[in-house]
Amino acid sequence: MPKITDYPRLNKANKIKNDPEQNSLFIPDFCALKMVFAVVVIGELLAIVLTISPLRMDKQRWDDLAILSLFVQWNGLMCSSALCVLRPIFKHYSNRFVAISSYLIILLIIVVLSELTFYIVEQYYLFEAISFASHWEFLLHNLLIGGIISALALRYFYVQHQWRMKVQAESCTKLQLLQARIRPHFLFNSMNSIASLTRTRPEVAERMTEDLAELFRMLFREDHEMIIWSRELTLCEHYIDIEKQRLGERLKIEWKISNIPDDALVPALILQPLLENAIFHGIEPEIDGGRIAVMGEFNHNQLIITVENTNSKNLIHRQGNKMALANIEERLKAHYHGKASIVCHEKNDVYFAIVAMPYLTKDER
Amino acid sequence: MKILIADDESLARDRIAYLLKEINPDYQQVEASNGLETIEQVNEEEPDVVLMDIRMPGMGGLEAAQHLMTIENPPAIIFTTAYDEYALQAFESQAVDYLLKPIRKERLEKALGHCSKLNKLQLEQLGQQNPETAHRTHISTQIRGTILLIPVKDICCFLADHKYISIQYNKDGEMAETIIEDTLKSLEEEFSSVFMRIHRNALIRKDKIEALEKKDDGRILLKLKKLPEGFEVSRRHLPSVRKLMKS
Repeated sequence: MPKITDYPRLNKANKIKNDPEQNSLFIPDFCALKMVFAVVVIGELLAIVLTISPLRMDKQRWDDLAILSLFVQWNGLMCSSALCVLRPIFKHYSNRFVAISSYLIILLIIVVLSELTFYIVEQYYLFEAISFASHWEFLLHNLLIGGIISALALRYFYVQHQWRMKVQAESCTKLQLLQARIRPHFLFNSMNSIASLTRTRPEVAERMTEDLAELFRMLFREDHEMIIWSRELTLCEHYIDIEKQRLGERLKIEWKISNIPDDALVPALILQPLLENAIFHGIEPEIDGGRIAVMGEFNHNQLIITVENTNSKNLIHRQGNKMALANIEERLKAHYHGKASIVCHEKNDVYFAIVAMPYLTKDER
Repeated sequence: MKILIADDESLARDRIAYLLKEINPDYQQVEASNGLETIEQVNEEEPDVVLMDIRMPGMGGLEAAQHLMTIENPPAIIFTTAYDEYALQAFESQAVDYLLKPIRKERLEKALGHCSKLNKLQLEQLGQQNPETAHRTHISTQIRGTILLIPVKDICCFLADHKYISIQYNKDGEMAETIIEDTLKSLEEEFSSVFMRIHRNALIRKDKIEALEKKDDGRILLKLKKLPEGFEVSRRHLPSVRKLMKS
């Protein structure tokens, strides 16, 4: 199982990922005019259904409908105004809590209004045409109808909300996925470096453009693709070459790759975001830069890749791209089904990110 | 016209340098590779315009601009950035001059043509909207027209004294004192993560607190590491000081 030690960067990442579901309330805004109108119309339809459902034919029906409408509208509008008032409070709670509590509130309102109606009718001998059954029968009858209708309504709102969330998620994931894997900064900074080099050292600009093209070609491929380890390493070296042009002496990097079989498959560009993080947090904030070390080992049929960097001692810690680590974790999960892991920790101002993946070759896949 | 190019990347500086040369070969150019150097260069060279990168190590462009604003005749500042969501939104809303890298020659020329001077209000707004500049890394004060920077990490305390604030700080191993114009309230707000209020007129660095001492006359003094004299703690702030010392 992927395991994560407590490091603020990553914890934040997980939180952000879950936030959209927690923060959006499934109950619509009942204060909106459109919703009030919908409640009135649905209430009226319910009153009509209730009036015509018993199989009898007499003139009294119209009177029944009028009184039923009055009662149903009263209930409907009271319930929706209660939900409207409570909405700001509901925002702070989970949807499960909101669902249960709003259902109970609706039932409570129905009980109170039924009691009130019963009392008024009995006290003033109104609507003699309607022969009320016993007190308890009346209450139970209303509670049952109200309970079923409101359960259906809440269920409908929930399903609609889920559907809306899904549409929203699908529309932004593609862009977010790309941003989780490479910072827009990198692209624009590289463009600027190329623009500068074109005049002074065209041959370096040319190579940098090639490196950049190769990286982006890989980025735009399908997410599930795997590449052989030697190719991954070359891509990472290209990435570092580009950044080295920009950062110069400030970026010191050491590669210590031993005995990893060249034919081992890894998810494409799984390491690049770690290098990017190392540069962002360890090198860029320091005037004198810092040191990055990439270590690769092959042990017990596992590839263990460590990216370590000196962490900036700067007073203000930079806010990072919180999605990168969460994204790597997710990709590892998708490729290796829990057999790979990423662990991050910090010790004596050095930050470590360790990825462990099982050894897979083309034939085994 | 004298132009200071402030950017931590030499390639970025080179490019702006030759663009400026093409626009007008008579422009005088100076360079700086971080916020601190920028201030030094402004002190020495007194440029008319600073082309300031936002992201620089040590001290970023926004903070450097804040310090530059304290001098009498500050240079005009044009910010440059490759990509910065927060900053760009802020620039737009505050109508501050900025250029996107890679910079187009025409844009640069146009910006130099009518660059306006920033005002304090604009900068304050920029600082608030940028999550990366939670507080300044340095406090600046003016001495005979030049900017003196004091790293916040060297400051022990801020003491209010009539209209001014006196700062006691560690200068090359020895304690030094200087005076700035500010209010304790705004300093307290800005540096709440590092400093705490112990009295109506004193902000003390949290990690320098050593011990509490009760005097015969009932006053309670707070001793700081490496400082002989104590600072009076008021009754109102005593509980929070105790709480901090326990944790």
